[in-house]
Amino acid sequence: MIDLDFALIGHQDSWRAVADVLAVLRGPERTPLPDDEIKDIFPWIPPRALCYVDVGSVVGAKARGAYIDSFIPPDGLGAACVRENIARVRAAAANAIQAGAKIVSLGGFSSILIEGNFDQLPERQGTVFTTGNTLTVAYIVQGIKKMCALEGRDIRSSTLLIVGATGDVGSGCARCLAPHVRRVLLCARNVERLRRLATELQADGVQVEMATDLRRFSADADVVICAASLPSPELLLGRVAPRAIVCDAGYPKNLSPGAETLGARIFFGGLGQITGGLRFAPDFHGILNRHPFPNVVQGCLLEGVALALEGRFEPFSQGRGAITPERVEEMETIAARHGIYLAPLYNADGPVQHDCGAPALVEHYITKPGDRWIQGAAQ
Amino acid sequence: MERVACLDPSPTECTSPSSSAPIWQDVLAHAMTGEFLAAMNYASLSEICADPAEIADALEHAQNERGHAAAFAAEGRKIGVEVANNVDARHWKRLRGTFLQCIAERDFIGCLIVQEIMLESFALASYSRVAKVAPGSLGKTFARIAAEEEEHLAHAVAILKTERARDAQRFDDKFYRLHLDVMTTLTQMLAKDCKDGHCEVCHASCVKPSLFEVSLSAVQLRGASLQQYLKTLDMLGIPGQVTLTWVTQLPV
Ligand SMILES: NC(=O)C1=CN([C@@H]2O[C@H](COP(=O)(O)OP(=O)(O)OC[C@H]3O[C@@H](n4cnc5c(N)ncnc54)[C@H](OP(=O)(O)O)[C@@H]3O)[C@@H](O)[C@H]2O)C=CC1
Ligand SMILES: [Fe+2]
Ligand SMILES: [Fe+2]
Repeated sequence: MIDLDFALIGHQDSWRAVADVLAVLRGPERTPLPDDEIKDIFPWIPPRALCYVDVGSVVGAKARGAYIDSFIPPDGLGAACVRENIARVRAAAANAIQAGAKIVSLGGFSSILIEGNFDQLPERQGTVFTTGNTLTVAYIVQGIKKMCALEGRDIRSSTLLIVGATGDVGSGCARCLAPHVRRVLLCARNVERLRRLATELQADGVQVEMATDLRRFSADADVVICAASLPSPELLLGRVAPRAIVCDAGYPKNLSPGAETLGARIFFGGLGQITGGLRFAPDFHGILNRHPFPNVVQGCLLEGVALALEGRFEPFSQGRGAITPERVEEMETIAARHGIYLAPLYNADGPVQHDCGAPALVEHYITKPGDRWIQGAAQ
Repeated sequence: MERVACLDPSPTECTSPSSSAPIWQDVLAHAMTGEFLAAMNYASLSEICADPAEIADALEHAQNERGHAAAFAAEGRKIGVEVANNVDARHWKRLRGTFLQCIAERDFIGCLIVQEIMLESFALASYSRVAKVAPGSLGKTFARIAAEEEEHLAHAVAILKTERARDAQRFDDKFYRLHLDVMTTLTQMLAKDCKDGHCEVCHASCVKPSLFEVSLSAVQLRGASLQQYLKTLDMLGIPGQVTLTWVTQLPV
């Protein structure tokens, strides 16, 4: 595989997803691997490409890339495996470089792991890396605004809670949304970083409160962004207003499936949709992008795609905590020019709205048993 | 040789040899069988080489592998066990059969693929795992031999890369045919548990369920072997996407 326009580095967030990937690789004529064998074998696979990815732009541009999996086990994202996982993402990055990818997007935990660890990579000869987080922030922010509009809420009077506020995604969201809400609640574990972000936002006249414990805030949030780097869906929100709008942008998801959310309006954030065409070879459609709508991909991966279609091979999102509203606007404009937009909103129970021709597509996905949202949608 | 990141999902730890001697006895028996088979394969290879330098090279390899077998036998004696070997045990016999097929076809490249890529990848990975947990000189011997197998592997990679550069498609097709045969046997041999009867190498019942007592496991040895195999194929330049499919399609 040589001279790709882009490469997307990712990892699977559930063993179900891993099993589906392996089933595609094994082909329909072979019996699927038993679950215990999957768990035994998968962690040993060295990072490599799974498939080619061909994308089209609504203005006619085309780009060819590859999806490279780092084969991080879905339950191996915790602190105990950091060194091992850095080695995996490094090896995936080396793969992308060797394939001659001009731009590489770092999906999910990949950017978190490789940040500060770009050493020990092969000579880069023109390959640039982007975390993709600017487009992720764009779609989280757009999603929040859309959800507020759908629910008839006035964002200006809302209290916004960001969990994982000091992260790259969280702080980008804070900068974009803080000036438009009444009050911002910032949550993360490291107080010093919280203080720095709070000071930055307060300098712009924003009313800010910060806490390392969600139960410590003086007010209930009515808009929530979950963007903490949690190894598994374990977040319990605690105090949020009834019917709060909650965006879970984590990969893996942040929110514990059993979280008490008091009728919260939850949606999965940070997702975009390619309207100019997306093809995987071999066909991993609906396997690598497991969403109830077609051609939906995480914003962080779509950033590399959009930049490739634009022919702008530059490390658009780099480092941590540098995402500004201006950069977000620039990135979403580039993406939109090529027909990449905010994906239709959905959550574990299914679509939260019916736009973009969604109902017809729902039937297509109903054939995939086990997807939780389908059960919800059928009620 | 290209250095590939070491991905190692399992912890390591040491144990004393005395109580676990029967386990090491079987581990050594498997290793020794593999070495004798390698020695036989290189001796056969020398018979189809035309170039005197190649003949000498193959014979030297055979001698090396016999040296490895002797070193494993000596390690057994140190812990008070007799290490048997059985190149006629069913899996090993099949592996030898495939190699002899290549010899019959005077297929030098096929021979290198089977012995120096497939079998050496497996030896390198499993010896390296054993070296991490085996105590004292036993561990050192496994480490030393693993290092030598790595050299054999590098030697073959250099030759086969050149061969592949001539006609990648032809090379990959041949490789795949041998992969189906050899790697199917190897994965059966490395299966978590021996479902289809005794391996004919272990001295009593199958050693696999006891490996945890020396901080090893069949799962680990299989995983490390497949990982090393994939990395070796990467070095040869066979596309990673393709080799992943090959490996995930193996029977388990
Ligand atoms: N939907 C999408 O398209 C994308 C999703 N993501 C996901 O977004 C999340 C954040 O990514 P990113 O911003 O790059 O990561 P960062 O590492 O930059 O930030 C993580 C943030 O989470 C905080 N955090 C970590 N653990 C906890 C905890 N237990 N409780 C509260 N806060 C916590 C960190 O602060 P502290 O350490 O001080 O607690 C930090 O503020 C990840 O899940 C990532 O996979 C990323 C890119 C795209
Ligand atoms: Fe040897
Ligand atoms: Fe050898």
